[in-house]
Amino acid sequence: MPKVYRLYNDVGDLFTLAVETKGDKYEIKTENNTYEVEFKGRGTKEWESVVMVNGRPRRVEVDQGYLIIDGSEVFRIDRLSEEAPKEGAALEELLKGKEGEVVSPLQGRVVQIRVKEGDAVNKGQPLLSIEAMKSETVISAPKAGIVKKVNVKPGQGVRKGDVLLIIE
Amino acid sequence: MPPFGKVLVANRGEIAVRVMKAMKEMGMKTVAVYSEADKYALHVKYADEAYYIGPAPAIQSYLNIDAIVDAALKAHADAVHPGYGFLSENADFAEAVEKAGLTFIGPSAEVMNKIKSKLDGKRYAKMAGVPISPGSDAPVESLDEALKLAERIGYPIMVKAAFGGGGTGITKVNSPEELKEVWERNKRLAQQAFGKSDLYIEKAAVEPRHIEFQLIGDRYGSYVVAWERECTIQRRNQKLIEEAPSVALSMEERRSMFEPIIKFGQLMGYFTLGTFETVFSDKTREFYFLELNKRLQVEHTVTELIFRIDLVKLQTRLAAGEHLPFTQEELDKRYRGHAIQYRINAEDPLNNFTGSSGFVTYYREPSGPGVRVDTGYVEGNWVPPYYDSLIAKLIVYAENRAEAIRVGLRALNDYKIGGVKTIIDLHKWISMDEDFQKGKFTTAYIAEKTPQFLRDLKRWEEERAAIALVAYNKGLLKRKVEAQAGGKGVENAWKTQGKLMQMAPRVMW
Repeated sequence: MPKVYRLYNDVGDLFTLAVETKGDKYEIKTENNTYEVEFKGRGTKEWESVVMVNGRPRRVEVDQGYLIIDGSEVFRIDRLSEEAPKEGAALEELLKGKEGEVVSPLQGRVVQIRVKEGDAVNKGQPLLSIEAMKSETVISAPKAGIVKKVNVKPGQGVRKGDVLLIIE
Repeated sequence: MPPFGKVLVANRGEIAVRVMKAMKEMGMKTVAVYSEADKYALHVKYADEAYYIGPAPAIQSYLNIDAIVDAALKAHADAVHPGYGFLSENADFAEAVEKAGLTFIGPSAEVMNKIKSKLDGKRYAKMAGVPISPGSDAPVESLDEALKLAERIGYPIMVKAAFGGGGTGITKVNSPEELKEVWERNKRLAQQAFGKSDLYIEKAAVEPRHIEFQLIGDRYGSYVVAWERECTIQRRNQKLIEEAPSVALSMEERRSMFEPIIKFGQLMGYFTLGTFETVFSDKTREFYFLELNKRLQVEHTVTELIFRIDLVKLQTRLAAGEHLPFTQEELDKRYRGHAIQYRINAEDPLNNFTGSSGFVTYYREPSGPGVRVDTGYVEGNWVPPYYDSLIAKLIVYAENRAEAIRVGLRALNDYKIGGVKTIIDLHKWISMDEDFQKGKFTTAYIAEKTPQFLRDLKRWEEERAAIALVAYNKGLLKRKVEAQAGGKGVENAWKTQGKLMQMAPRVMW
């Protein structure tokens, strides 16, 4: 059974990755794709590493906490957690099931919740506002559906990556 | 001699900074205005003086005519540049600025009042001989009338709000059933958004491209047309990529538009910069006039590069009453090469282009031959959710289009932004797309390509996450990076903090 990781990047995207490791070879599965990543070690430059992704070499550096890939792409891990293995749950379900979770993209305080449990929401509809640095950020629905659960109350402080509510 | 001593820029973000750069080069002082949300913004830092004009929502700040005119008077400014968007085409604002004894850098209120709605523009176009699409000349009063008219000109048709702008209030309709459905809803929406519910209809162009012409005029009746810009790559009527010149036009087709457009300008007594938006069909080789934009455009940069002129400086000089410095013939001779502008928006292309607000925590800008970046943000700035999502414009220039796309791709690869989502990946995808490279596209390009680029962009993101996971597993992210030769390496952060504290000037409270 592979390990399942939940990885949030700095802009609040969630990636659910199923990982099987054999030495320096990693087989990483997402809902629709598989990535064979092999760690090859040091690159030609100081502080550079090389990984092969599906047979293609990629150069990796780190700058200010950001991963710089091939000098042209940036990626930052904000939070990474290992999913507790669930009895009987199929891998596909684990990879798929989380897309309705609305996570907080920043640290702040919930000021206004515009929906309640059981509401039908459209994609892009404003769900709630989070105040940070005296300014309000509106969180909108990532997909259409029914609000299954609201995890926060107005006035509550939230951290980046916290699950605010769940849409099904 | 600079035409003015001090100019207030009534805008924010990249355009405010871009205008200020021109003002500084002309030897004038610059004044910024800012809302609560923009206290620490780049345009405020960059200006010589800055005045607070109100809370974050635009209606209380950047659209607040009284507050802006007050700031201009307080700063003893001689002129006001409105940028684009916000109050740039507001006749009341132009009038208020003129009444306060300052110069409005743009057309006068009187000229603006001549074209209040898109229908007024159509009327002038008809008089000047600018081709317009078949449809109504006046607001269509009722659904019955609309259905009859639509039957006569033939579907598909466009239903437009006469007072709409910025690409909103436009719906394409393919059948009478759809028209019935759309009519009441659009009337209501137009009333809400623009305060007037007038709608009109016109024939939709076949496989249209969006091509606009740059009109430049002085107060003395001289005009030139600085060719066209192709702005066909759009999503929801919002432009993403603009280029000059257009791949689709021959010199004869281009030149055939100059005379009617100049006539249009003469009829209106128009001066400074104006943009004629048209749709052009590859099939029928016909232009249809859409509207006249009475301001500097976001995409003015591509025209600047191919003619090697500075439109903001020119606009300012013309507003001050100077003469047009070149004739059409002289301008035509200045043309060289090809320019492309990529709008760097803080938006999520994977999520229907919803805006992404937040702090810019990583920012590396491209530079080098053929690359220009007009930015409103640097590392550490906050992208507020209140205004439009344009962070910066990346403009590339080369001797021909194919080369310009290669420069573009290189510059996009060099452009790295963290903390907010951007459409840089999408621009890379488009630049590598064969149809784009061949110049084969219509305004439906983004909509048609969506399934393809969604799949690829998603894969790119996932691949990065997979690499990041491996890098994390291998401890690459935790590894301390040694300082370069000569340094003693990274010190204890507390030690550094202590030293910095001692070096910093003491403030006695």
